[in-house]
Amino acid sequence: MGFIKAFYVMVYRQVKRYVSARSRVLMTVVNPLIWVVFFGLGWSNVFNFPGATAIFGGLNYITYLASGMISMTIFMGSFISGVSVIWDKQFGFLKETLVAPAPRSAIILGRAFGDSVTTVIQGGMILALMFLIAPGLRVEGVIPALIYGLMLAMGFTSLGITLSLKFSSTEGFQMIVNLLTMPLLFMSGIFYPISNMPDWMKAVAYVNPLTYAVDGMRYWLTGVSNFNPLYDVALLAILTLALTALAVRTFEKATIED
Amino acid sequence: MVEYAVVAENLIKRFKDVVAVNDVSFKVERGEIFGLLGPNGAGKTTTIHILTTILKPTSGKAYVAGYDVVKEPAKVRSKIGIVFQDPSLDNQLTAYDNMFIHGRLYGLNGDALRNKIFELLEFVELKEFANKQVRYFSGGMRRRLEIARALLHQPDVLFLDEPTLGLDPQTRVRIWDYIMSVKKERNTTIVLTTHYMDEAEELCDRIAIMDKGKIIAEGTAEELKSMLGSEVIYVKVVNNASCVEANFIEKCVRVRENLLEVVVKDASTAIPKLFDVMTSKGLKIVEVSYRKPTLNEVFIHLTGRELRDALEESGRPHLGPRAWR
Repeated sequence: MGFIKAFYVMVYRQVKRYVSARSRVLMTVVNPLIWVVFFGLGWSNVFNFPGATAIFGGLNYITYLASGMISMTIFMGSFISGVSVIWDKQFGFLKETLVAPAPRSAIILGRAFGDSVTTVIQGGMILALMFLIAPGLRVEGVIPALIYGLMLAMGFTSLGITLSLKFSSTEGFQMIVNLLTMPLLFMSGIFYPISNMPDWMKAVAYVNPLTYAVDGMRYWLTGVSNFNPLYDVALLAILTLALTALAVRTFEKATIED
Repeated sequence: MVEYAVVAENLIKRFKDVVAVNDVSFKVERGEIFGLLGPNGAGKTTTIHILTTILKPTSGKAYVAGYDVVKEPAKVRSKIGIVFQDPSLDNQLTAYDNMFIHGRLYGLNGDALRNKIFELLEFVELKEFANKQVRYFSGGMRRRLEIARALLHQPDVLFLDEPTLGLDPQTRVRIWDYIMSVKKERNTTIVLTTHYMDEAEELCDRIAIMDKGKIIAEGTAEELKSMLGSEVIYVKVVNNASCVEANFIEKCVRVRENLLEVVVKDASTAIPKLFDVMTSKGLKIVEVSYRKPTLNEVFIHLTGRELRDALEESGRPHLGPRAWR
């Protein structure tokens, strides 16, 4: 009982805060747009030669890239959302949740889920725009893609929360997030297929939860995938669960000294 | 047998190189307002953090509402309300939402929660601002909102950490009124910390004076002041002071090397006599002041420093709250 109430109210809080902070929302949506427009349109002319689509599993480059943009939006939005934990430290609200009798797991899961829901909504907005740029995407794949997106978001909000519980300054947190964001994006198959990567990059890509979200969503949106879509969903679920469990554990042990 | 709302037994909290709380023990009876008075850095906030389960003591035991704060933190949390020294509101949400979230975290819901929220917002005179975002609130309004929030789940024990810090005099008096009516109307046990002597004297049934991590005196304001007697004269001399004796002097203590504390019945007649006695002993007086004993004099008596000076010299050492930044 107490668990559900606390979970629900933390979702309520995160969504309510999201609605009142529109500038942050705008940035997370603009970023992928910049990528797809400048990077995507630029390269799509380079990959215009006969046989080029074979590199991208039979897709033209702009469709290939567009199908990855929803994962990118959700990934970036959810990872950085952990910064709100640091704000809560600075503005004191975290203490309010630390002295509450509600189970800490409920508080942190509710918080992660609330942020996940908002980033999936952003991902949905980007996806709608992608249909304009890449008309080849499949409408029937939207719902499954959003479900994958929710799992991806849970994983990376949790990782963001874990990191921000350990960092006391927004600068420190943002540094580590920026340091991880770009390599994880490049080793996920969003911009180019994993099969063409050097072996050491492949190795990283295989443990990157983003890889399976990208591949799974691409399967639903274009019919093309690198792995078996069932593997995608299973591995994404496992990695997400691991990251979520880590966040719960870290928050359960949190004291005011951290 | 008296049941205690709060029991602290030999609490010690060590941070890396500072002992913030050094063997602190006290008991608070049900329905009492108990004050921890002392300068910043005395260990008051750290003590409160231990009692409210968000900091683990290095050693020692503490029980709040009958539960062990280390072994049964969830039970303790459901019985206490706390107003932290630093604000802990969500600025981006409305006053109502801050209360609502708190209520749900404490297991309340539905109409009961809604009614309770408005009742308490009315109590702290914020009802008309219920749907305004907290970031537009003044310091006093925020503090009142935090008090209302802490009362939402009807705690047995209410902790107030420096409840009027940084507020203007009128607002302080208003907060005091709320605190007194909480005690009167709900019979809530209140533990508060303060470095304002007037606040401790005004509100607290019993006061523990803390300095450098230790409780150095404990009792009602009257008991503490009676440690000093009727009136106190402070005599500053040029060089090393030594105590003087005479039949009109009840007590003489050398609190600093050039400062004497002389306790007498009636200071206005004693001062001229004191001049004679001291001159005859060859002590050259540079400054004389006298006061009716207040808690400040008690603090000087116990530590040789003014509470005010102690505030300046301590300048907040790197203890708990600082580690947040």
